Amino acid sequence: MSGLLLALTLLSAVPGTAGSGGSLDDRFRAANELARAGDYPGAVAAYAEVAAAGGGSASLYWNWAQAAAARGASGEALWALLRAREVEPGDRAVRREIERLREALNLDPAEIAPEPLAAVARVVRRFHLDLLAAVLLAASVLLHGLARLDPGVRGGRAAALTLLALGLLAATAPLAARLARPTASVVRRGAPLFDAASPTAEPRGALREGEVVPVLEASGGWLRVEDNAGARGWARSADVRRLDRAAGE
Amino acid sequence: MSARPSGLALLVALLGAAAASAGFTLRSEVDTRRLGVQDVVELTITVEGSGAPDEVPLPALTNLEVVGGPAQATQVSIANGRMSQSRTLTYTLRPRTPGRAEIGAVSVGGQTAPAIALEVVAGSIRPAERRRADPFRDPFGGDPFGDPFQEMTGRSRPGAEPKLFMEAVPSRTRLHVGEPLVLTYYLYTQTSVTDLQMKDAPQYGGFWAEDLERPQAAPQGEPASAGGESYQRFPLIRKLLFPTRAGLLTLPAASFRISLVRQSLFDVGGVVERSTRPVSITVDAVPEARGFSGAVGRFSVSAALDHASVPVGEAATLRFRVDGTGNLKWIDQGPEVKAASAKVYPPQARSELRTTAEGITGSRTWEYVVVPQTAGTVEIPPLPFSYFDPARGRIVTVETAPLSLRAEGGTAAVGLPAAAGRAGVGEPLPLRTELDRPGRSLALSGPALSALLVLALLLHAGLLAAARAPAAAGRPERGGGHARGARTALRDLERAGAGGLSKEQAAALVEKALHEAFGALDERDDSERARAVRVLLDDVQFVRYAPQLGDYSDAIRDLAARGAATVRRWA
Repeated sequence: MSGLLLALTLLSAVPGTAGSGGSLDDRFRAANELARAGDYPGAVAAYAEVAAAGGGSASLYWNWAQAAAARGASGEALWALLRAREVEPGDRAVRREIERLREALNLDPAEIAPEPLAAVARVVRRFHLDLLAAVLLAASVLLHGLARLDPGVRGGRAAALTLLALGLLAATAPLAARLARPTASVVRRGAPLFDAASPTAEPRGALREGEVVPVLEASGGWLRVEDNAGARGWARSADVRRLDRAAGE
Repeated sequence: MSARPSGLALLVALLGAAAASAGFTLRSEVDTRRLGVQDVVELTITVEGSGAPDEVPLPALTNLEVVGGPAQATQVSIANGRMSQSRTLTYTLRPRTPGRAEIGAVSVGGQTAPAIALEVVAGSIRPAERRRADPFRDPFGGDPFGDPFQEMTGRSRPGAEPKLFMEAVPSRTRLHVGEPLVLTYYLYTQTSVTDLQMKDAPQYGGFWAEDLERPQAAPQGEPASAGGESYQRFPLIRKLLFPTRAGLLTLPAASFRISLVRQSLFDVGGVVERSTRPVSITVDAVPEARGFSGAVGRFSVSAALDHASVPVGEAATLRFRVDGTGNLKWIDQGPEVKAASAKVYPPQARSELRTTAEGITGSRTWEYVVVPQTAGTVEIPPLPFSYFDPARGRIVTVETAPLSLRAEGGTAAVGLPAAAGRAGVGEPLPLRTELDRPGRSLALSGPALSALLVLALLLHAGLLAAARAPAAAGRPERGGGHARGARTALRDLERAGAGGLSKEQAAALVEKALHEAFGALDERDDSERARAVRVLLDDVQFVRYAPQLGDYSDAIRDLAARGAATVRRWA
């Protein structure tokens, strides 16, 4: 009994950030007030602080997108919505707004989804396919063992093998999703693509605002990316923000 | 026949070129006009004088292929207070087949060097260790002005060090980020030099470097004094540098290899190396301001539409242009253009820039495609542009005049997608009120899932193997391939006990099931299991071969039930 109490205590301590969580909530609401008052740059800065402090929820990125869109930063708004989708893949409102903003930026659907495996990763997170696969695999082994112990169990082995097949199928998606390259979204209009990760490098082209690009390499404040036309080069990480990491990481 | 250029003649030509204040000469030469198909020939293209284009194309080749080069060399000759420059490109060519070969005419900047015909014979007619053509080598094999000591020993004699040095001079030592400075490399010399090359191109860390356009006229030397001695000073290389960060930055030392003219019969001559000293530059930061474009310099802006009116749905082009001098290359983002009832596409940028000592001069133009969505007037608001003016020491914002575009034709609105989540004018933003931080979700890492997958497969394989493996301890080995699974035996016993079969068929099925489950029993096996199976088999055979004198249904059911119990217990 005492062990159970201890476990419950530990579990309740997991959101042990309760103390700091309260302040994050307060800062989030304060950022909302800034946005409502029309101070969109201030609101965006406040949302960025909350995200950097670990409060990167879908709601935060949603509001960030609203403030960014209100100040005319459509690329940043699209990035925030894409981050919201990463955090909460099942949020329909986020998906709907991504579509609207994509059309407003005159982007093709493929231009914001260059990495099909990234979509698989979202499906895995949304439906917890990794846990499902683990449960199916464990159940298949258990059932197979029972069928072995008691030969009279009708269809035990067949059921175990069926569960094994389903477990393998469910595990395929999480394992495939791990092969997805990280992606980033262009938040600045006409963000230059340089031939080297250096302030003295020559721009060799420009990226489209809102375009999502695979990240090939990262070096300091620079990301080596490949645009949808296949051009590779270095972009400033302030112009191209990663989607696989919370803001501020 | 040899066409090897004469070193003396070339030197004379170099010195003579110094007299020409502008223009250039072009020569195309080969080191032989007759060669074997296994030999190679060296083509030397020489551009002397100032104002020559940077690019010298390879001429058309007939029955020849390039197997080496181009090796490039830039030479600076200074004599009698004047400097001349020459550039040499050397290609190594190989003939393809015996017969005739030709190197086409070379045309550069209005000058043309004539074509050269070659005779190619079979085999090789040139020495294997042919000496490479040296434009400064005497065609008759020896240098009449050479140092006999060096020719005998291969070493130069010690002599007085020639008086010359290099100096890097910045146009200023304190400036703002983005402001240009000109870095000039000067040669101070008391002797004549034939060649000067930068040994290692320095890396200007913290600076964006641009090469300044070469002057049309050959640079003139000027008297200068250093350390109490008189020199001739020549500006050789000029770089335009823009600091990219604030702080105390250092322009590194640059090393040069300088070839000297022999002044006398036993003069050392040869090559010396000189380095400049590092130069420190203090760079001040540019003040931060919202909307600052990053431009530093003096600029003006203008905007124009290519049409005063267009039909609804048709495109007009809005051009936003920035003119001026400064770090124009840094400006890669045009202003945001918002126009009600019109769709404005992201701009394309064009540049017409020229690098001068004052900075990068010219213009950058952003072209926006504007498509009216409804009939009426599309108002293009003033477009702002902020830059840092070093002269005033502050950020200046200029803007264009507002523009109007008349949209004619249909009145139906073309679907203009609303900006994502943006509220209408006067409406509050659709903000979410709760942070709703995601809870801790249990997720398996890739390696953990892979390990689980492998473990499950191994366990399944183990269980399957165990089902086929010899019986566990205490059970005799089954009869090879005759043993079948207990489950199949149980199914047969169930069928036999269900009725519907003759007593012979049912007994045979029970017997078969027992053999399937237990295989052939070893006669020496006296275990309880073997005895139980033998008793059962005896009873089965009794029923199977007994005369049909009555109803054996109960006996068959009993045998099937006993058989099933035996199988469950022992199989």
